[in-house]
Order: sequence, then C-alpha cells, then structure tokens
Amino acid sequence: MDIERFSGTDRVLHWVTALAFLYCMLSGIGIAYPKFHWMLTLLGGGEFARWLHPWAGVVFSIGAILMILKWARDMVMRGEDWAWLGRIKAYISGRHEELPEVGKFNGGQKLYAWIVFLSAIVFFLTGIAMWFPENFSMGLVRWSVVIHEIAFIVATAFTVIHIYMGTIGVPGSIWGMIGGKVSETWAKFHHPKWYREVRGE
Amino acid sequence: MSTLTTGGTVGLGIKRISASKEPDTTTKQYPPLAILVDISACIGCKACEAACQQWHDLTPPIMTPEEVVQRRIAGYQSHPDLRHDLFMLMKFNEGETHKGFTWFITKYQCMHCAEPGCLIACPAPGAVIQYQNGIVDFDHSKCIGCKMCLVGCPFDVPRYDANNKPWKCNFCVDRVAAGLEPACVKTCPTQCLTYGFKEDMVEKGKKIVEQLKKRGYPNATLYDPAGVGGTGYIYVLPHGDKVKEYGLPENPRVDASIGLWKGPLKVLGSIAIWGALLGAFLQLILWGPIKVFGGKEEEKEG
Repeated sequence: MDIERFSGTDRVLHWVTALAFLYCMLSGIGIAYPKFHWMLTLLGGGEFARWLHPWAGVVFSIGAILMILKWARDMVMRGEDWAWLGRIKAYISGRHEELPEVGKFNGGQKLYAWIVFLSAIVFFLTGIAMWFPENFSMGLVRWSVVIHEIAFIVATAFTVIHIYMGTIGVPGSIWGMIGGKVSETWAKFHHPKWYREVRGE
Repeated sequence: MSTLTTGGTVGLGIKRISASKEPDTTTKQYPPLAILVDISACIGCKACEAACQQWHDLTPPIMTPEEVVQRRIAGYQSHPDLRHDLFMLMKFNEGETHKGFTWFITKYQCMHCAEPGCLIACPAPGAVIQYQNGIVDFDHSKCIGCKMCLVGCPFDVPRYDANNKPWKCNFCVDRVAAGLEPACVKTCPTQCLTYGFKEDMVEKGKKIVEQLKKRGYPNATLYDPAGVGGTGYIYVLPHGDKVKEYGLPENPRVDASIGLWKGPLKVLGSIAIWGALLGAFLQLILWGPIKVFGGKEEEKEG
C-alpha cells in the first residue's frame, strides 16, 4: 500500500547533491572557521579538503540546478504555501488541524528548494572567483568571499532544519528518499492533496 | 585552534600568527626592522634582484625578446610581474615630471606590513607568521592553499606554485636571524638599500627627503603607508606626488571586506547555525516529532 514519492532519478539526484553539499559545508566550516579547523583532518586534511571543496561545489551546483529544473513545477509557491508558512508555529507544535491542506510539498519544503537553488548559483559564481583569484579583479574576489559566506550562513541554517525534519522531526519521511516509498497513512496525513491526486480521487 | 609554536622557524619571537589567539608578547620583544629603499640613489642595476634569486635558489625562466614585446614591459624590466619563483622585481616605468623624462623605478616585493592583510585573511592556523622584528613569513606545512593571502594583500604580492603554496620575499629571515643583512641590501652597490631598526631607517629616510627637497625635488616623500600600520620596506620617492607611477598604491589598507567576513559574519554565522541546531532540539524536546495523526493512527494500523 506504499506510495512512490521520489523516483530513482529523483533520489540519485538528491543524494549526489546532498553528499556534495555536506562535504562543501563541513570543509567550508573547517576552512573558514579556525575553531573548527580540526574537522579538516577528518575530511582528508587541510590541503585535500581545500582541493576537493571547489570540485564538490561544482557537483553540488550542477545537482541543485538539475533538481530544480526537474521539480520546479511542484515547487511553485502559491498563496496557500505562504499561509502555511505563516502558521509554521502550529506545524512544529503538532497542531496539525490549524494548517491549510498540503500538496506534494509544503511551504517550508518549497522555500528550502528555492534557497538551495539560489544558493547554488551564488556559491558557484562567487566560488569561481575565489577559486581563481588571479583571473578576476581583486575587488570582485574580495566581495565574492563575503557573499559566499552569507550564502553559506543561509543555506547551512536551512539545511540543519532540512536534515532534522527529514530524519527525527517527521518520522517516516526519510523513506521517500531511501527506497522512494512512503506509507499511505503518512501521505494522507502530511500531503493529503497529493495523496488524493495519486489515488486519483 | 591556537598554534603558538615556532615550528619550522628559527626561534624568533612571534608577534602574531594567522587564525590563532594573539600570542603573549611580553616575554620576548624585539623592535621592528626595516629596509630603506632610496629611489633617488637607485641606478636600476637589478643586482638586488640577482642576489635575491641567488640567495633563495630561484631560477625564473628568462624572457625572450618576443615575450618582452608581447607583454608590453619597459626594456629594463626583467619580468612582467612577480612569480612564485621570483620574490622581488625591479619595476621600471617611464614618465614625465617637472624634471622632464623620468624613470620611475621601484623595488617590488612583499612590504612586510605591520598590519599584514595576508595574515589577517589567512584561515589556516599558523600558516602566516609575523615575527617580533616585523618580518612576515609563510609556513607551508600549515598552509592549505586557499589563496586568501592574495585576497587580503593590499600590494598584490603572493604568487602560487603548482601546489597552491604562496611564495614571496621573506626578508631573508634566515640571514637576519643569523645577524646578516638581507641579500638585496648586501649586494646593493649604491647604498640605495640600507637595513636596520625601523626607527633609524625612518629617521634616515626623512633626512634624505629633506636633502632632496633642497635639491629641487619639492614633492619628495617617505613612503611608509599608515593604512597598513607602516611597512618593513620604506621608500624615499623623489616624486612623492606620483606614487602610482612608481607602481605603489596611494593609500593601501586591508580591505573592509576582509574584516567583515572575519568578524561580524563569523558571529552571525555562528548564531544562525547554532540557533538552527538549538531550534531543532527545542522542537524535539518541547513538542516531539511530528507524528502521523499524533501517533494514534500508526498504533491502530500496527
């Protein structure tokens, strides 16, 4: 009775992008925050992490762009999504009945998708300047570092929430990305409109 | 985080190291050193450049005449720019002053700033070291190759080898530690280069500037830019009104962007990310996971 939530392509795309982002995030923290410099040891050493970071970034950026291309239609923010976001407190405190009915993705998931997409573009453009500083004007490189850091703050804060929601915060949702199927009850409860569409009701 | 060691160095007192706690400098102190470059005494012989390469065992490739033409550099200049295997370069620039045709000659290398942009920008603990005597040096064993030292440098100095390790003038730290003058100073035939305590060099430089003013160079100045806290190379510029013609920045300072991502943005990032973790944890302990139908339906199904 399980329902397919993400296809094989979706899942591969998600996990390639996710692992690339995870490496970038952790190595980025290790590189940029001296207090966490020790993390680079776990990621292959400072020189290696600095070498892999931009390549992993390229994988992440391409993955994120492909993902949004594939999912853009599902991710369009509508009035009900903003209303849902407005009542986010009811969501996290388990007062489910106060929320508008949700389709395949809720407002929070949609917002996160756009943040990932936008950050991927920002990371990529500023990252290229930082990767090859000799080939760009120094003013551009200097401000790229600042913008790269801002993108990191936003993307990482939201990713922490994303990982929490996908694992502990919302039991059952992880199976959408592992194996691809969620239980009928889960779908009915969290994404009733999508559930009805799938069931053809 | 803190890498308070003199590892790989010659045991000089440390003033400051990258991405680390400020060292306690009360134990070992030493006044800053400086090299005074008196451009009015320079004959453009480039002996300093040759001595630098000889002492540091550098063999930068010799440019062909075609390359010289292609890269539009004046005939006296050996290379168009600094290289990872060329720590200093005599720059020649032709121009006009009230004296008619003038060679603007500069000795171009790391300036050994008192406020070094490279050290401030470097994220790798201990990869950039500033000694008590003012010398700024790199420790390649701690460098991760991110090139932020170039991003931080107001003088566009560090150059990178194939492994992304930066190279630059190290003020012949090995010679200085052994009580010798830097190689360029040692070889200079006209006493254009003199070396000693910075205080003395500034005094000497000011005297030369005064003499130059009397001799028909009213704009002569001593270049010791305050924006970077002063430098370890200070220049007597006969045409002090044309700093840029010498290839030197007029008012170098560590760019504001460096302070922004090193300071406030780090604090903001820490708050946002620890805040997100704390928020998730609070959600967990206050309301618990968001279970399907509050967990009732699952029990029924199970």
